[in-house]
Amino acid sequence: MLNLTPQTRKKLRRFRQIKRGYYSFLILAGLSALLACGELLINSRALVVSYQGELYFPTYGDFHPGTDFGLDYQYETNYRELQTRFAAADEGDWLLLPLVPYNPYENNAAGGVFRPLPPSAEAQHYLGTDTTSRDILARLFYGTRIALLFALGFTLSVYLIGIAIGCAMGYFGGIFDLALQRVIEIWSNVPFLYMVIIIFSVIPSTVAVPTRISILLLVMVLFSWTGMTYYMRTETYKEKARDYVAAARIIGASNTRIIFRHIMPNVLSTLITFMPFTVVAAISAITALDFLGFGLPVPTPSLGELLKQGTANLRTAPWIVISAFGTLVALLTLVTFIGEAIRESFDPKTFSVYR
Amino acid sequence: MRKILYCLLLGLCVAGCSESPEEQPDNADSTGAADVTAEVEAFYAANPDFFSFKSPADLPTGLVWENNDHLPEIGSPEAVKGGTQNAALQDFPRTLRTVGPDSNGGFRTFLLDDTTMTMAHVHPDTRDLYPGLAESWAIDEESRTVYVKLDPAARFSDGEAITADDFLFMFWFYRSPYIMAPWYNNFYSTTYSNITRYDDHTLSITTRELKPDLDERVLLLRPIPQHFYTDMGEDFAERYQWRFEPTPGAYVVRPEDVRKGRSIALTRNKDWWAKDKKYWRYRFNPDRIQFTVIRDDAKTFEAFKRGDIDQFGLGLAEYWYEKLPDSDPDVQAGYIHKVMYYNQRPRPNFGLWINTAQPLLNNQDIRLGINYATNWSLVIEKFFRGDNTRMNTSHEGFGEFTHPTITARAFDIDKAQAHFAAAGFNTRGADGILVNAEGQRLAFTLSTGYESLRDVLTILREEAAKAGLELRIEVLDSTVGWKKVQEKQHDIFFTAFGVFLELYPRFWEHYHSDNAYDKAFLEDGSVNPERKLKTQTNNLESFAIAEMDALIERYRRSSDQDEMVRLAHQMTELHHAHASFVPGFYQGFFRIGHWRWLRYPEGFSQKHAAGPGDAFVHWIDTDMKTETEAARREGKAFDPVITVYDQWAE
Repeated sequence: MLNLTPQTRKKLRRFRQIKRGYYSFLILAGLSALLACGELLINSRALVVSYQGELYFPTYGDFHPGTDFGLDYQYETNYRELQTRFAAADEGDWLLLPLVPYNPYENNAAGGVFRPLPPSAEAQHYLGTDTTSRDILARLFYGTRIALLFALGFTLSVYLIGIAIGCAMGYFGGIFDLALQRVIEIWSNVPFLYMVIIIFSVIPSTVAVPTRISILLLVMVLFSWTGMTYYMRTETYKEKARDYVAAARIIGASNTRIIFRHIMPNVLSTLITFMPFTVVAAISAITALDFLGFGLPVPTPSLGELLKQGTANLRTAPWIVISAFGTLVALLTLVTFIGEAIRESFDPKTFSVYR
Repeated sequence: MRKILYCLLLGLCVAGCSESPEEQPDNADSTGAADVTAEVEAFYAANPDFFSFKSPADLPTGLVWENNDHLPEIGSPEAVKGGTQNAALQDFPRTLRTVGPDSNGGFRTFLLDDTTMTMAHVHPDTRDLYPGLAESWAIDEESRTVYVKLDPAARFSDGEAITADDFLFMFWFYRSPYIMAPWYNNFYSTTYSNITRYDDHTLSITTRELKPDLDERVLLLRPIPQHFYTDMGEDFAERYQWRFEPTPGAYVVRPEDVRKGRSIALTRNKDWWAKDKKYWRYRFNPDRIQFTVIRDDAKTFEAFKRGDIDQFGLGLAEYWYEKLPDSDPDVQAGYIHKVMYYNQRPRPNFGLWINTAQPLLNNQDIRLGINYATNWSLVIEKFFRGDNTRMNTSHEGFGEFTHPTITARAFDIDKAQAHFAAAGFNTRGADGILVNAEGQRLAFTLSTGYESLRDVLTILREEAAKAGLELRIEVLDSTVGWKKVQEKQHDIFFTAFGVFLELYPRFWEHYHSDNAYDKAFLEDGSVNPERKLKTQTNNLESFAIAEMDALIERYRRSSDQDEMVRLAHQMTELHHAHASFVPGFYQGFFRIGHWRWLRYPEGFSQKHAAGPGDAFVHWIDTDMKTETEAARREGKAFDPVITVYDQWAE
């Protein structure tokens, strides 16, 4: 069991009392859990296949060529077809498909031609299809997952760098602080968007998609950590002058210990307050980059790409833009509500000064 | 590295475009350019066989002068001059030059191809030649020479007379290293053997080989204004980057209309010398054609639907059937007309150009596998809704020059797998993509500059995965994409070359080893192990086969149409066997939507046209525009117009 200080417990209690933020947190946590096991919900691979008395679980792991199930092709089995086949053959074979039996890449032209189809429960395209007949729900779902993972990675990296450098600047001060401040000033004036565009244009496209996403993350982190340092630096400056720090030093604590064990807990409220907004910024940035065509490589599912398709087909397929925009708004609203609640519960000043 | 620079440039251009185009130095000798008059004269003197100076008395007797003045008029007498046509451009032109680096962009059509005047032109209905700058011409097949009398009235847009000297200069210009255009250097030094000046308005041009289209080879040449290109030098490309060359045609670009990155306009020259000439008088009607840069197709379409743009190409099924269906209120109210024209002409060669210089792609089995693993029939059937046709070879629509029996390889997973296996890729990885014994994945980058056709590639990707081939898709900005192939950095590129209305296809540009490597073969005919890729050429497949070179050279020398047909077929077979090109699709028609005030002649459908604007026969009916705008406000409707001209359907 987590050993929480009474103070932290009080903060958490306060957080729970702020209903809007608390419920948003619960919803987002639930959503994250769903996203984590997304393959079981939205996938073209079957959950269970029972073929000739043997059970298969194709969801995770290697692909099963059609030949595994008595089909005449060596590429990935089309489980929807297999299901109808099993039903027709009636030999006791069966399979169980996920709720949405489509993956985000396949073009499933239900109407014979590739074009956006409106939402239809019958075809199991619950949010319709996009311009090349891919399931929008599947693309949204996996797009959101990538965006959230991206945001998580982004926030963690930015915090790590920002805290380390910011604290060091505030704690050591002097020439070190002065020099690093100038470096940060120069660095933060490099136009971020152009750098992303330029760097991405020279990365050879032979690089695998996950690597490309990591590189994009790295570039974004490289140009975003600076903002965090300012807050950490001032907070550390302030804390450093307090008696408990002097006391710790007299006892003989090392710099690292003082920074991470003594100062850090006292500036935590600043950190946590900013966290949700960093997440929001990351999601917006990745979506914007995708919208502009400089983000995730085609055909990775992404919110930005769907938004782009949606705006290009505003009249003819409004469901694309509605789904994408709705998801984005919902996601950002949830995170913002959580952020507000955290700020209110973790920042003692809000109560002492303003209320 | 160049790509980075390019991106920087693009960024700068988007961010802060300078408004004034007149920044070019006019008098800079410090930059290394000098008056070239003396250099040109010296060149003429040094090549006396090529440049001859004679008097009218030297003209051979018995020449039969013709001027084809019996052909049907082009355009309609109803056409009214005036008004402004509004159009959109996806990219701002990178230069106003028509030759040299970056000059081969989409806007060249308006600077040169469709708007300039050559000595004669190909009639869009009959394919006969009709006079342009020439008053009349005479053909002497025996000496491979065409004699031309220029129209004494002919003037450039800056008022200077067009004389035989401008044609002599043209040869110097196109052969000059300053222009940095190897294709021109080569073509103009190898195709022609002599130009003779008889007097200011009489000249003759001789070709090196007698070709079936001797007349077109000569008469489709255009004059280059010597008085404009006085200062030439190493800095030609920068010096003339934003300067509009005086044109014999009707439209000029005024410096004040060049708003870099934003818009550019063509203005009708009201004193155009040919404005009352037969074949020319009913054309080039709008006073001004305003091009605004709209980078996004969807936005362009919305601008069109608002009436900000007068015409929109509805080639994609998505537009014709979904975004502007026949039931659209604007169509039903008769405000917007939908027209589809079938045509007959050489087809742009849409397909996958495989760079055989890349590792793995130099293996024929891999290329054959790729051919079998691309499912074009699915694309045609489901994405283009059956409107388009599969290309069989890279040269479709050239009549008897097109190979009659070769058919493109159809999608066949088993054959694809067999070929991939022959190349060592015989086991499937965890994701179904083939790997070879060294664990290398069968994956290539498929790039394109066509944003609007990205869906085609995602469909091909999904299908190719079934055959165990991974295609990584890279959708680039059109100019960035073009840059990439010109530097031969692509694996597989999806593109097409615009094809001129020519009698027979060109092979040298795409398949000669001269355009693939600096020195492809050694003296003994074996492959040069140290050869380097040649950039800035159209040999996108890095195609270099000695046998093909020999055939191309015979083809270029041949004057016998039957032999040329035979050679063309032989080369097509060789190209097909090499499998470095996956033929895609062609569209046997073009279709547009236009507001009713943009008018075309009654029953207009030109057999050989590539688009409705080729011959500039349309006009802007300003009264009708006012009327339509009023009708839209009041909700008044006209008769809907949805026309399909299928008399030229193949």
